[in-house]
Amino acid sequence: MNETEIIAGLKQGNEAAFKELVDSHRQIVVNTCFGLLHNISDAEDVAQEVFIEVFRSVDKFRADSKISTWLYRIAVNRSFNFIRDNKKRKFHSYNELSESKKELLNQQVQEGADTPESDMENNQRKIILHEAVDALPQNQRVAFTLNKYEDLSYKEISDVMNLSVSSVESLIHRAKKNLQKKLYHCFKKKCI
Amino acid sequence: MNCRNIHKRLVFFLEGDIPEPEAEEIAKHLVQCPTCAAFAEDLKKTLQIVQLEKLPAVNPFFYTRLKARMQKEAEGVVQPAGFQLWGKVLQPALFSMLLLIGIYTGIKIGQPVSGGESTIDYAAQELIPYLNEMEAEPLEAFLME
Repeated sequence: MNETEIIAGLKQGNEAAFKELVDSHRQIVVNTCFGLLHNISDAEDVAQEVFIEVFRSVDKFRADSKISTWLYRIAVNRSFNFIRDNKKRKFHSYNELSESKKELLNQQVQEGADTPESDMENNQRKIILHEAVDALPQNQRVAFTLNKYEDLSYKEISDVMNLSVSSVESLIHRAKKNLQKKLYHCFKKKCI
Repeated sequence: MNCRNIHKRLVFFLEGDIPEPEAEEIAKHLVQCPTCAAFAEDLKKTLQIVQLEKLPAVNPFFYTRLKARMQKEAEGVVQPAGFQLWGKVLQPALFSMLLLIGIYTGIKIGQPVSGGESTIDYAAQELIPYLNEMEAEPLEAFLME
């Protein structure tokens, strides 16, 4: 089934077309949501909302863009709605770790090697990276996530975000600089 | 190029986003400067986390769960008419009735059993003589004996 047939099927309420759409696009939707939410369970919940919205508002879809562009757009909006509605959620930050845990982590990093300890180091790095990405301005965060987690080109990102390619380029450039600044700050404080 | 300038360009160096001559200059600096080299290594490891996180395994029952959720939401849309009638009218009415029945039962239990004659008269005539011996046998009569 190609995109046109899927859209036509969806407009007629065809379940097979909907299943085809979900099966062929669920990975990119979940991945995008995961890049913004950093939690697989939340990402799947939001991805479900994305497909429900697509099913209900398929009549509004204009055939001048790809389905994936539309899905990315809804996924980004839904993810930010989710973040806004769940602001009370607390993320564990490195600063909350006790001194003894910091010492243990430092010791494990020095030992290196492919051990559970290096998994722990990776987990620590994940937390630091997520905090740094979450602290980015919204547009930079979206552009960075679509570029890094979905490997979208600047042109594809510009379609999703309704911006020019040069604006996307600038957003990603600034996002990387901001990330580097935050990570350097963490490096100086010896977070890991 | 000093350390400060290196720090500003390191992320672009690691991502291969800078021209060749500048990249060579940074690479040379990293060999000579252990602090910058350590930061470069740290930054590289942290940025690689994105690659590890890419494509999380999606639940194989994703579609089944999605359909179940859609069905539940569809039922939720149909439900409100009956649900509102129950929630807003029938439920308060039921609880009010239960409250009134409770009050009525309480009043009925609290009421003394009424016989043919007044309870005060019954107590005065039948019970007090047995309970209050002083009245049956006054003190004067006791002392006289």
